[in-house]
Amino acid sequence: MTGLGKSLRWPVLILAIIALAVLPTSLKSYGVYILTLWAVYVIAGMGLNLTVGYAGQISLGQAAFLGIGAYTAGLMAKLGFSYLLIVPASASICFLVGLGLGFPALRVQHHYLAFATLGFNMLCFLVFRNEEWLTGGTFGMNDIARPVLFGWHFSRAADFYQLTFGITVVLAVLMALLLRSPWGRAFAALRDNPIRAESVGISTTFYTLMAFAIGAAYAGVAGALFAPLVGFIEPASFTVTNSLAMLLMVIVGGQGRFFGPALGAVIVVLLPEWLRFAADWYLAVFGFMIVVMMVWMPGGLLSLADRWKRP
Amino acid sequence: MIKRRTTLKLATSALAVPALGITGARAADTVKMIDDVELSGPGVTSGSMWKNGVDMAIKEINAGGGILGRQIEVSHQDNQSQAQIAKAVATKAIDDEPYVILGPIFSGDVNVSSAVAETAETPMFMGGEAANLTQQGKKYLFRSSLSQSAAMPKVANYMQKVGIKSVVIVWISNDFGKGGHDTMLKELNARGIKVLADIPTEPGQMDYTSVVVNAVKAGADAIFSYKNEEESARFLIALRKYGYDKPVIGETVLVSQRVIELAGTAANGARGHVGLTVDAPNPLVLAFGAKFKAIYGYASDHNGIKGYTSIYLIKAVTEKLGKFDRKALAAAIHGGSFSAKQYPGLLLDVAFDAAGDLDRESYLVEVRDGKQVITETLPPLGKV
Repeated sequence: MTGLGKSLRWPVLILAIIALAVLPTSLKSYGVYILTLWAVYVIAGMGLNLTVGYAGQISLGQAAFLGIGAYTAGLMAKLGFSYLLIVPASASICFLVGLGLGFPALRVQHHYLAFATLGFNMLCFLVFRNEEWLTGGTFGMNDIARPVLFGWHFSRAADFYQLTFGITVVLAVLMALLLRSPWGRAFAALRDNPIRAESVGISTTFYTLMAFAIGAAYAGVAGALFAPLVGFIEPASFTVTNSLAMLLMVIVGGQGRFFGPALGAVIVVLLPEWLRFAADWYLAVFGFMIVVMMVWMPGGLLSLADRWKRP
Repeated sequence: MIKRRTTLKLATSALAVPALGITGARAADTVKMIDDVELSGPGVTSGSMWKNGVDMAIKEINAGGGILGRQIEVSHQDNQSQAQIAKAVATKAIDDEPYVILGPIFSGDVNVSSAVAETAETPMFMGGEAANLTQQGKKYLFRSSLSQSAAMPKVANYMQKVGIKSVVIVWISNDFGKGGHDTMLKELNARGIKVLADIPTEPGQMDYTSVVVNAVKAGADAIFSYKNEEESARFLIALRKYGYDKPVIGETVLVSQRVIELAGTAANGARGHVGLTVDAPNPLVLAFGAKFKAIYGYASDHNGIKGYTSIYLIKAVTEKLGKFDRKALAAAIHGGSFSAKQYPGLLLDVAFDAAGDLDRESYLVEVRDGKQVITETLPPLGKV
């Protein structure tokens, strides 16, 4: 990166954040809703990127954590808990469950681990669906109110977007700090060569568990925002298909790249909406574009930059 | 540096999303309707039928001069059978200020979309049948078919009438199936019909062998099957392979045209109650069924009729009002009765209550030689 590039990095990033923060003023309700949904998926994607992209594990269970976070938030909101408690509770529960899901990763890898996490997602789906006394079962949980913080009601779409976007930025900063810390280097070592990592004193057990737990906690926060955003949650929103969509976000954006999930969420959440002009063909066009992207850019969209840099 | 530029370039496209909410000017000589419907995902079978019914009605109405001289302009928007996308579609619809919203069909999608429509005071004509949808005090939500709580007592009455004393319930574990299951269970208990086995099945289930074995083993007088189209057909095929010869009874879907097409000869002998059928002994309905088949090449099921009659209901009430007024439209439908004699597009006389539930005649049918045969016409409940 050139000196000019480095010096421009921060102003451009700050300008982008400001632009995204004020964007709702120029959008109608639909645009604000879709943008908020994008921010929610960016949070869940950041968590999955840590697990998959930085720590080199595979997970097909991120939608389950999104669901656990959403149901925790929905239940606590119905019981009258403050949103200040709801978000940490959703994150903590997912952290603990994620820790548990990390254990299979200590024994199996690659597609075996993929199937273990897939099974976990199905298990969670069945709990959401069958435990009607707790989750509302197939009927779901309706009328989940938008949060109130310090007397401020986030019921307006733009206000709720700004809250969601604010949380996204805070979590992105925390993720950046984590990745720049020795933990970040340990995750990378775990991904690149676990045996060498172990030989230089990095506890692969600890960091594998943490990769799952922190990734799950991010999805928990995303779930705590998803529930009041949609206002209704049902098991169908947290199936393996949705986990695959989240994995697609990470891969299509660029796994192991900081801005990968943000870009990936643009492709997975916003692109189908932009393609609606293609009427009946919009999902077919979307599918074709994904195939093309994966064939030509297996490293994700952000890998394009590396290609251009090559002589 | 290029990496940053690339990121920013793409981020800028995201910022340029303004397209996300901005619409062009509406022509004064058209009336806009937006269809928030399941055109992909598990609801695609129902959604496609609904869409075809809507399109057919709109084509007819536009050819006849439209509503109050204005042509109907409809936009079908796929909600992917997912609640969060259905809400996006409903929100987009409201930004476009349509006269009405059509759909969705799945209960979860109806739940989120109707909340958006309610806030914007825009009437919504949905295809959902789950009982709870109209029990939330919404003023702008209207059904296009009987609710489960209106239909299930008719099925239970029929069972009692033919002397069924015990039954096995085989249902699909989604909101539609669970709603029907719970309502039916209550009705069976009220009539002293014993439930010997209660078997939930999975959406998209392919193999029903173990379900059939358990259902038959229970030794009940009949099986009550309540599932979506593909699942109903697969279940009937598995039952016939097993050689089951006792009554198989359902509500609407089990004996629908789509299930008959999918199950083939295995559908023969299935019985049930249907709120809407193209084989109804009514010249208007029969003409609709023939025209639908001529256009699309297959018979319409209840969802096609729901979409079709919804458009004609909107036309009828709007023309009665003499103006396009969303609030007045909703108010006029609540408590209103509309006759098919006066408004032929309604196909059948219909009446609405204050909750948006409707009442109309319905039918008991049996599948014989691959066709729905009406065995009895049941009068409206008369509750509305």
